[in-house]
Amino acid sequence: MSHCRSWEHDWSRRRMLGVLAAGSVGAGGVGAAGLGGLLQPAMADELARNDKQILLIWLDGGMSQLESWDPKPNTPFGGPFRSIPTTLPGIHVSELMPKLARQMKRLAVVRSMKTEDANHSSGVPKIMRGHPRNRGVPYPFFGSAVAKLMGPTASGLPPYVWVKPGNGGFISKHAGFLGARYGALALGDGKPPPNLVRPDSISSDADRVRQELRKKFNRQFADRRQGAFNEANSYVYDVAQILMKHVELFDEKQLKETDRQRYGTHDLGRHMLLARRLIEAGVRFVQVTSYGWDTHGDNFNSHASRMPKVDQSVSALIEDLFDRGLDERVLVVVMAEFGRTPRINGSVGRDHWPNAWSVAMTGCGIRTGTVVGETLPDGTDVKTTPYDIGHMFHTWFSAVGLDSAKAQYTNGTQPLPIAHDDMHKVDELLS
Amino acid sequence: MHRRVFLLAISLTGIAAPMAQAADESLHAAIDRLIDAKAGDTAKAPAADDAEFLRRVMLDLAGRIPTSAETARFLDDKTAAKRDVLIDSLLAGEDHPRRMQELFHAMLMERRGEHAEWTKFLRHAFAKNLPWDQLARAMLAPDSADENLRGAAYFLTARLTKEGAMAPVDVPGLTRDVGRLLAGVDLGCAQCHDHVSIDDYKQVDFQGLHMIFENMQSRGGGTFPAVTERVMQKDREFHSVFTMDPRTTGLRIPGAGDVPIQTFPKGEEYSVAPDRKAKTPGVLKFSPLKELAQGLAAKGNPLFARNIVNRLWFVMMGRGLVEPLDLFHSANPPSHPQLLDRLATEFTAHDFDIKWLLGQLARTGCYQRSSRLPGEAPLPEAKTYAVANQKRLSAEQLFWSTMIATGEISRLKPKPATGLEQVVAETESLAALQKQFLKTFSNPPREPEVDFAPTVKGALYLMHDKSVLALLKPQSGNLVERLSTLDDTGKMAEALFLAVVSRRPSTSDREAVGRLLEKKVGVARGEAIGQLAWALLTSTEFCVNH
Repeated sequence: MSHCRSWEHDWSRRRMLGVLAAGSVGAGGVGAAGLGGLLQPAMADELARNDKQILLIWLDGGMSQLESWDPKPNTPFGGPFRSIPTTLPGIHVSELMPKLARQMKRLAVVRSMKTEDANHSSGVPKIMRGHPRNRGVPYPFFGSAVAKLMGPTASGLPPYVWVKPGNGGFISKHAGFLGARYGALALGDGKPPPNLVRPDSISSDADRVRQELRKKFNRQFADRRQGAFNEANSYVYDVAQILMKHVELFDEKQLKETDRQRYGTHDLGRHMLLARRLIEAGVRFVQVTSYGWDTHGDNFNSHASRMPKVDQSVSALIEDLFDRGLDERVLVVVMAEFGRTPRINGSVGRDHWPNAWSVAMTGCGIRTGTVVGETLPDGTDVKTTPYDIGHMFHTWFSAVGLDSAKAQYTNGTQPLPIAHDDMHKVDELLS
Repeated sequence: MHRRVFLLAISLTGIAAPMAQAADESLHAAIDRLIDAKAGDTAKAPAADDAEFLRRVMLDLAGRIPTSAETARFLDDKTAAKRDVLIDSLLAGEDHPRRMQELFHAMLMERRGEHAEWTKFLRHAFAKNLPWDQLARAMLAPDSADENLRGAAYFLTARLTKEGAMAPVDVPGLTRDVGRLLAGVDLGCAQCHDHVSIDDYKQVDFQGLHMIFENMQSRGGGTFPAVTERVMQKDREFHSVFTMDPRTTGLRIPGAGDVPIQTFPKGEEYSVAPDRKAKTPGVLKFSPLKELAQGLAAKGNPLFARNIVNRLWFVMMGRGLVEPLDLFHSANPPSHPQLLDRLATEFTAHDFDIKWLLGQLARTGCYQRSSRLPGEAPLPEAKTYAVANQKRLSAEQLFWSTMIATGEISRLKPKPATGLEQVVAETESLAALQKQFLKTFSNPPREPEVDFAPTVKGALYLMHDKSVLALLKPQSGNLVERLSTLDDTGKMAEALFLAVVSRRPSTSDREAVGRLLEKKVGVARGEAIGQLAWALLTSTEFCVNH
């Protein structure tokens, strides 16, 4: 099943440091790193051959583990929903996810997540950054980290694309100390950036002429000047022109009606279908966000209406990835900033609960058909070895061929581990 | 003074006296002496030529590039003192207050929004060259009675608005911004415990500042922003989430230390009692905001002067002496400690006169160096200032410069006396274009505009937006129309480069233009000229201040 075992991609510490130093930028500095241009040739080849991609599905506000991956029916905190059997013998999930229950043999679920922060405002960035040891610098979010460490794929498409409800834009703050360039290209409601289509008044020949002139003037300007500004300014024009070649990605008329029905016509379904197309087109890291999971009130009706959308769209996505053989090189992660309290509050809601929650994943050498860890019968705590988000980051980096025990960022002269240095990958999750 | 503040003050103060200092040495001479001493034998760029200097100083002090005519006049001026004369005329000119308003708006509000009263405050302040301490006090303890300054309250009130369901009013964010923007200390990570990696930043510093803003709220109802305070009666109680030990503090002001709370018997807290009917808030005998304003924006406060001189140095030189700009602490020393000390001391001695400081910075050899280093030597680090650092153009600078370069202003200016702003305000399509430029090229709200951060959105906008492209279609009096009438390719190239990149074309520029226009006549020639103008407008040379 696995085609990307981590040992195959182990890079020596010296080589990795060389690459990262060459591609590093100062804190808050302009993204001067050359994607390719500054890499040592041998390493550039190795990176170019690495065709692993990542799809992160983020359920913002905190999906309830009890109404999804880790149900506790008929217990004081279990809530009204039943559990149902899955394609994994002996493993049950909530009845709110029948389609995913049928996909369980293609998934790995960790039921023993135990993290630190119960606040949205600080918890989201902590989880998104893999909660590394505090070194006084803002770490990049997962997508920015991958954009930096792996760069774009051979497609040249921007390496970190975020499909989200609401507004789009370029979200540079995800990049932390890596510098603005490694931020997320956010597609608000899956819409393309404005002005993606060239107006008829400019022929493709005329466009080519003016772009060549721009490059010529830029080369002349950059001669014997610090190159970072020109590199950054040239880069956004390159990306713009690559995106223009993929304008069909945003044309919903080209979608098959069967696909639309399978994924669902709701926001999450449409966004998930776009995510599949972005992955197929070669975007290195795609994140899909669903908002509104902070169910302090009316938790059960909320999950009854929300879970089917996740069930439908994520199961359709997993079917497609496996049918197309993309599971071999695409890592999929489904998570939030924390789970929800077993205790049901006075508003029939569940509050924030980082103490015992679940994360699901598949693809790219993740050992499928696995359930790691166990919570207490009432769901209040983890019964087995607890795993923090740092363990997951080590595991995911390993799955995509990055040795997180050795690889480092370089921030100015300060070397920084890419995942928490006291934590390690979870071997049970890797095949 | 509290012990820790004392230590912080010592560590930020220059110790050794600068060497070889003439008694009457001007600040700009001292800057060059200190920068050159530190740079040692680092390869240094030659002085910028007149064109490079003119464009840079116009962008910095007037917020726009020069017109072709201004450039030609300056290049052809043979008088020796022309650079000093230019600096003085720009500081006295009509563009300068607008530029300062735009600069300080972006710096202090970080794109949170606009308010007509705030704009009026900034414009008034810079038109009158009010000293920085007065501006800071107007922002921290706003006076509703002063019609020109009351809009300064927007600095506080804009930070007290709700950002959405998941983000309630962020009072800790306001506390953090006051420290960051007015004292150069980002205490944000010391809210719940002492900062884990910066020893100087203690939780008590945050809590003692934060209690001032917890005691304050926006006063609604008027057409102008305003705040009101409650009577403060006791110390703030807090505890570290690490140790859980209960502690208390009175007011603490960055760089100035503790201010004990003064209490008065019930009914005697006000010197002028609040009046509900007249809707006047009254005058407190002990106003924490006034204590903050007086303690922070004060001559004796080491952080206050250092923060602003470091920020103005950054604006002019492209890199702060302390970086990041809001992380002053003893483990993050300035690149040039004596220089920062000297800047702060002299700026304070000149009564926080921003215009004076900018004039001194613009006169330095350091500012007037080229951003290009000929030869083979490796390019030096930004902090040596041995080569002029490139700087980001703000959305405003980019907009005004585009208006000048494309000849849009000269096309529309009905009479010479009409200013840039008036032309744009009176032309609906340009006012809309200005809004679109600000939206496209500004950072998202709450993100400091420090780094150069070009975006794909910006590139696509300049590539495809119809209003942008319309600027490059020939219209009576605009750049492309004017160029199309020049049959001599050499003259056309000269006019094009002077208009857009504020310099005469090089030999290779002329060759490129010549090759493109060869055998093109009529419509084809006009189109090619439009392509050249577009390529220069989107070039890095135009989009950055170099």
